[in-house]
Amino acid sequence: MNKLADQDARTQGPAADQDGAVRFNAVTKRFGETTALDGVSMSIRQGEFMTLLGPSGCGKTTLLNLAAGFLSPDGGEILIGGERMNDVPTYKREIGMMFQNYALFPHMNVAGNVAYGLKVRGVAKQERDRRVEAVLGLVRLAGFEDRTPRQLSGGQQQRVALARALVINPTVLLLDEPFSALDKNLRASMQVELREIQRKLNVTTIFVTHDQSEALSLSDRLAVMSEGRIRQLGTPQQIYRQPCDRFVASFIGDANVLRGRLEGVEGASAIIAIGPVRVKVPCGPLADVARSAAVDLFVRPEHLALSEATEACATHGTIVAHVYQGGYVDTYIECGEASRDRLLVRSGGHEAMTRWPTGARVGISVTSGEAVAFV
Amino acid sequence: MPRSTYQRLLGFIGKLVVVLILGFLVLPAAVVTIAAFNDKAILSFPPQAWSMRWFAKAIAYQDFRDGFRNGLIVTAWSSTVALAVGAMFAFALNRYRFRFKRVIEGVLLSPLVIPHFTVGLGFLILAAQIGWNRSYTVVIACHIVLVLPFVLRSVYVSLRNLDQSYERAAASLGASPLRVMVTITLPLLLPGLVSGWLFAAMLSFNEFTASLFVTAQRTQTLPVAMYNYVREFADPSMAALSVMYIAATAALIIFANAYLGLGKVLNIEQTR
Amino acid sequence: MRTFAAPALLCAFGLVAALAAVLQFSLRAYVPGSLDPGGFTLANFTDLLKPLYARVFIDTVWICFLTAVSTLIVGYPLAYALVRSQNAILKSTLLVIVVTPLFLGEVVRTYSWIIVLGNNGFINSILLHLGIVRQPVQFMFTTFGVVVALVHVTMPVMVIMLAAALSHIDRDYQRAAESLGAGPVRVFLTVTLPLSMPGVVAGVTTAFAWTFSAFATPQLIGGGRVNMISNLVYQLGFASFNFPFAASLCVTGLALTIVVLSMLRLASRRLETIEPH
Repeated sequence: MNKLADQDARTQGPAADQDGAVRFNAVTKRFGETTALDGVSMSIRQGEFMTLLGPSGCGKTTLLNLAAGFLSPDGGEILIGGERMNDVPTYKREIGMMFQNYALFPHMNVAGNVAYGLKVRGVAKQERDRRVEAVLGLVRLAGFEDRTPRQLSGGQQQRVALARALVINPTVLLLDEPFSALDKNLRASMQVELREIQRKLNVTTIFVTHDQSEALSLSDRLAVMSEGRIRQLGTPQQIYRQPCDRFVASFIGDANVLRGRLEGVEGASAIIAIGPVRVKVPCGPLADVARSAAVDLFVRPEHLALSEATEACATHGTIVAHVYQGGYVDTYIECGEASRDRLLVRSGGHEAMTRWPTGARVGISVTSGEAVAFV
Repeated sequence: MPRSTYQRLLGFIGKLVVVLILGFLVLPAAVVTIAAFNDKAILSFPPQAWSMRWFAKAIAYQDFRDGFRNGLIVTAWSSTVALAVGAMFAFALNRYRFRFKRVIEGVLLSPLVIPHFTVGLGFLILAAQIGWNRSYTVVIACHIVLVLPFVLRSVYVSLRNLDQSYERAAASLGASPLRVMVTITLPLLLPGLVSGWLFAAMLSFNEFTASLFVTAQRTQTLPVAMYNYVREFADPSMAALSVMYIAATAALIIFANAYLGLGKVLNIEQTR
Repeated sequence: MRTFAAPALLCAFGLVAALAAVLQFSLRAYVPGSLDPGGFTLANFTDLLKPLYARVFIDTVWICFLTAVSTLIVGYPLAYALVRSQNAILKSTLLVIVVTPLFLGEVVRTYSWIIVLGNNGFINSILLHLGIVRQPVQFMFTTFGVVVALVHVTMPVMVIMLAAALSHIDRDYQRAAESLGAGPVRVFLTVTLPLSMPGVVAGVTTAFAWTFSAFATPQLIGGGRVNMISNLVYQLGFASFNFPFAASLCVTGLALTIVVLSMLRLASRRLETIEPH
């Protein structure tokens, strides 16, 4: 618990002092016996794109539903724009929300859907038409006013949903896995578009996803969640390069786990021995660990390299398979001495495939200082 | 998929069986139609001469006219009240937890298995005891209870199939609960409500056994009038009325199928 | 919430009151010549044990059983065809033919069957005309005639329930069985039929209850020679105004329905183990 609090303070920096646009203070939510959220605290800055990332059941959707007011917390408080929201019903919260299935009203056309929030607020017809037109222009759907949701493609439906949520100038935009129904190519272009619009309007955004690449590419900051808690909160770079624990290290990106031994500490770095090789890692997670204890070294596939099997290599193994990925090659290696699982080495180009056939014995070396170790 | 001779034979036998069963279903309607156009008062196949006169007689027959009018009154009231009551309770069942929820639901659904003559006798005795002897009120109350299970089921199914995110989306856009109900929930439930009402109306209009117990001469509905006619007379007026009945019902069903999608309403669409 | 449930509560109360009235009357003595019942007694129920009435109970259950099983056998192929037909027009036609009789009411349908089955009705006219028989075959006033008409009455609901069950069976189960080398008959017997069991149980249960409730069919086609409980209740109520005894018949009939239906449900519990999820 302590460690998490440290992490929070460290990665959040000075922003923690400010009043966020959205704040969760020790929010707890239970469903019967199960605790969905266990004292979650987080502050989201004005205009920030914050992603909640985690496996299903981690509590990310619950947190979003609490922000939207579809659920009410059992403990703690939720503040939007500095105001306590615990007892404020959804329709008075001034939020914009995009749903996983878009939830476009099937009995209204595009204009009717987008104008709904304005009508509810009693905006005059002329003003309403003007704003609907403007926001449809923003999402590049001008001229689609009279279509029904069923006549739209998946990407178009999503833009209508975004327009509908944005037209009311919400204090916070909530996105519940909005890209999960789109195919891969469309998803990428919609992500870029969403981010562009979000930056342009400078609207505070909470985005829920279980897709880690989506989280890394879109967010200003992201919160990795599991079992109702925030495991790590930070920028995508921090999360990817300095995961705070085993869970984050293995949940975000691919990671190889190598068996090593703690050899010593030099200032802020710890020295880990893997065979004849010494690797420097941040000593934070290893603060209380005794000398020469066994530790696990987490290394990204792109930070491992194949070479001829020599004494100088960190470890050795046999090539099981090459998987050609276009721009790079993923090589799987059976390596009994240093790792329980097969190792994954990612190398640019396709030399690895031609140089070492399946079954060849190779040496493996660690090429970068960006590794982390945990007990 | 390639098909062997064996499979073709099976397919042919299957089709033949289905055609025979359809024949069984359609036979009475076909036969009654032939009988209705028979000129003679006595049944004979094939008819010697054709005539429309039994249709004229059926339409002119006072008991049928009264029965039709009474039936419309009872049906209009009972199906509309049952729709309101059933829809509200379906909503409560779907959205709230409350005490005795399952018990009340069980009681309201029980007319599905309780014989109609028992319900009819019960309402008859009850009416006699509180002195509302066989008034419209008793007939309507009895019909409400009998058709309620169908409305309840129909609305409950459409409520359950209604994606919660529509209502949530409306709330997130600032619509108050009442506004969400009026602009989102009710319009989206409309097909379920219409089909529930239509089912209730058709069942009520055709209800016979319980009606026989709770109606009097003054309040008798069309099926009761028809039953009394069949017991007393044998001429084809009843056949003519049956033909009109069958045609009107089939037209309604075809309409319902075209506009509401019976397959969806009855929950018999192949899901995969 | 109260506003939503209150009207329904009133309806439930009305139904319970009506059923309570039946129960109350079943325990009262019959005063000949009066509509008001006498004091409390169990005589109505002991009278039910007389062979005359016991016979009607046995006949009723037998007719219900015959009807439910026949409806199942005849309805299954139709439900299967309804669910599996690919042609939209064919499907709609089947659906309309199946559903329309459901809303025709018992009287119209029973009357139609009288014309089909009567001594100078449709079938006998054909048989006589073709010289297959010399005398009209007696269909009216027989159990056979009553069951045929009742099967027609319960058919729509049976087909709808079977079709609902069949339509929710993932077709991949059948494809998997086919890919494993099972022929069409084997696929049906080992995969489709077991998976449609919930629909079979629901259909048989409903057919049984509806037959039990039928009045016009046994009355008009049975013509007093095939009697079911419903006919007896009506006779006692409206011919001799013996409402207490009619009420006791209703109570016993209801108890019998509940016993039979719970037995069916118990049997279906065992089947639920093979229901997917």
